[in-house]
Amino acid sequence: MKLFVSGRQAWVSIGVTLAGTLLFALLPLLLSPYGVRVGQLFVLAAGLAVAWTVLGGFSGYWSFGNAAFVGTGAFTAALLQLALPGWPAGSAFMVALVAAMLLNGLLALAIAWPILRLRGIYFAIAMLGVSQVCFELVSNIDSLRGALGVNLMDIVPRGVRPERFYYWALLLATLVIVLVAIAVRHSKLGYGLLAIREDEDTARMLGVPTTRYKMIAFVISAMLTAMMGVIYAHNLGYITANSVYRGDFNLNVIVYSLLGGMGTIIGPIIGAGIMTYVTQVLLGDLLDTHMFITGLLIAVLVLAAPNGLYGIYDNYRLRMRRRKQETQR
Amino acid sequence: MTLQTLVDGLVLGGLFSLSAVGFSLLFGVLGVVNLAHGAFVLIGGYAAWTLLDRFGIDPLLALPLIMLGMFCLGYAFQRTVIQWATKRASLLASMLLTFGFALMIRNALVLIYSPDFKSVTPAYAFDSLSFGEVTVGLTRVAALVVSVVLLALLAAMLRYTSLGRTIRATAQQEQAAALCGVNIRHVFALTAGVSAAFAGAAGVAIGLVMPFSPPDETLWTINAFVVVTLGGIGSPAGALVGGLILGVINTATAQLVGAAFPNAMMFLLLVLMLVVRPAGLLGNSFKGSR
Repeated sequence: MKLFVSGRQAWVSIGVTLAGTLLFALLPLLLSPYGVRVGQLFVLAAGLAVAWTVLGGFSGYWSFGNAAFVGTGAFTAALLQLALPGWPAGSAFMVALVAAMLLNGLLALAIAWPILRLRGIYFAIAMLGVSQVCFELVSNIDSLRGALGVNLMDIVPRGVRPERFYYWALLLATLVIVLVAIAVRHSKLGYGLLAIREDEDTARMLGVPTTRYKMIAFVISAMLTAMMGVIYAHNLGYITANSVYRGDFNLNVIVYSLLGGMGTIIGPIIGAGIMTYVTQVLLGDLLDTHMFITGLLIAVLVLAAPNGLYGIYDNYRLRMRRRKQETQR
Repeated sequence: MTLQTLVDGLVLGGLFSLSAVGFSLLFGVLGVVNLAHGAFVLIGGYAAWTLLDRFGIDPLLALPLIMLGMFCLGYAFQRTVIQWATKRASLLASMLLTFGFALMIRNALVLIYSPDFKSVTPAYAFDSLSFGEVTVGLTRVAALVVSVVLLALLAAMLRYTSLGRTIRATAQQEQAAALCGVNIRHVFALTAGVSAAFAGAAGVAIGLVMPFSPPDETLWTINAFVVVTLGGIGSPAGALVGGLILGVINTATAQLVGAAFPNAMMFLLLVLMLVVRPAGLLGNSFKGSR
């Protein structure tokens, strides 16, 4: 039987992920409720960023509209729960989660056919358009209740502090996302996507089914993003179109990847950690100049480390290796 | 659809065109998507507001001054910041960089001018012209005239002057232009300067017609995106056509479908256009569109 992933590197990645998740799962026991809330933001950001990476990082198709899936996932779940009154919270949540993921997968499949034919900047713009259309439709069609808002069921079990419960829920979802991303990265699909990023025409000429691979990656990315959206919506408890179709979701996921390292899985996680720490903890009190400093940070980042922190590490590693070879000679 | 709706749509469309043409030029020639474009537009608007409020200078008289100032700003922006990013990273990274600048400018405008709405109201702001059953405010007429005249000037400049020829040559074949003795970096910076100058002019015209506030920068950037996609990249005529279509569709949707739907319609159109004809109605196959 052929294993889903192969190679030592994949298993190392999985091991590191599991160990890291365990470590993060224990954190709430040490942190204050405020600390746990910052932790939630970090885990949410990391999950969304890795889900984005499955398409954007691996294949180089930068989506500027992933908030479409966050929002549509959240609203699918919310409206479904509204239609299922009297169900126990746990099963209503599961049904909503599965339905939201399926629906977003279908949505991605439907828009993939026209939009994934566009390349580079045009794909980015089109996705921005898709997220705007979704936002406008949900907020303007009365039966979708985007302007009015929807309450979601309380799914926190008795005896668990809500902030801890959602931290763990988001962490679990992020774990799933990272594992899927690792599986994709080390499978044939992943290598195909990397080939598409380097040179799509050549990849196609060499027999990579580019269209199918891009579609699969897009659908996976959308479903994972929707999963995050559903949990995030429950965390909020009450959602409007404005609170889930957030423009900053669209851009932050890209910023995280750029900061950490584009096309890697650890990159966006590190990026999310740094950005969350800087914006929430270091700049938490500077409300007036918060946006200015964030902008400055992004600008400095692009100028100083265009390939992210992982790029700096990669350069260092290459230089070390070259030096070693020279001394051996 | 009444004639009044059509005229209102055309006025709005003129503003869309003027605000998008600089974006289009920069995208077409350099391949850079300037997400700070809307912020540049607002800088123009706030400059006009300041000159009128503090020094009593009429916005139409201040227009050349503002355009000159914005030209210098755009030139410097390209030579220092964008050039560095495009050389060291990718074009997509330069997009992120300009997004960072958009955030900074927006925040700075909030700090300087407060987040309240401002509008540029010269003495003639409440006069209007009537043509039969159609009534148009004098400032709206001024805004439309400014848009059309400036777009025509830009088109003529690109078509007939040596600078225009250099810019077009650079857009088509960077290396070949360099071989013919064109100083590419200078031309890029001049293009960025022209782009910013037109953004500033658009800001003045917008200020005459409607109130604006710092968060509007996103709106004007996105509008520029849509106009450019509709009309085609790198051509003033494309920006004019795209802008006018968008303006008319905007007011018509607001009247016929519902006041909440112009944006949804606009983006639906954007996505459709990208699918059917990514190069736009009058598109050149310049850098960004290839």
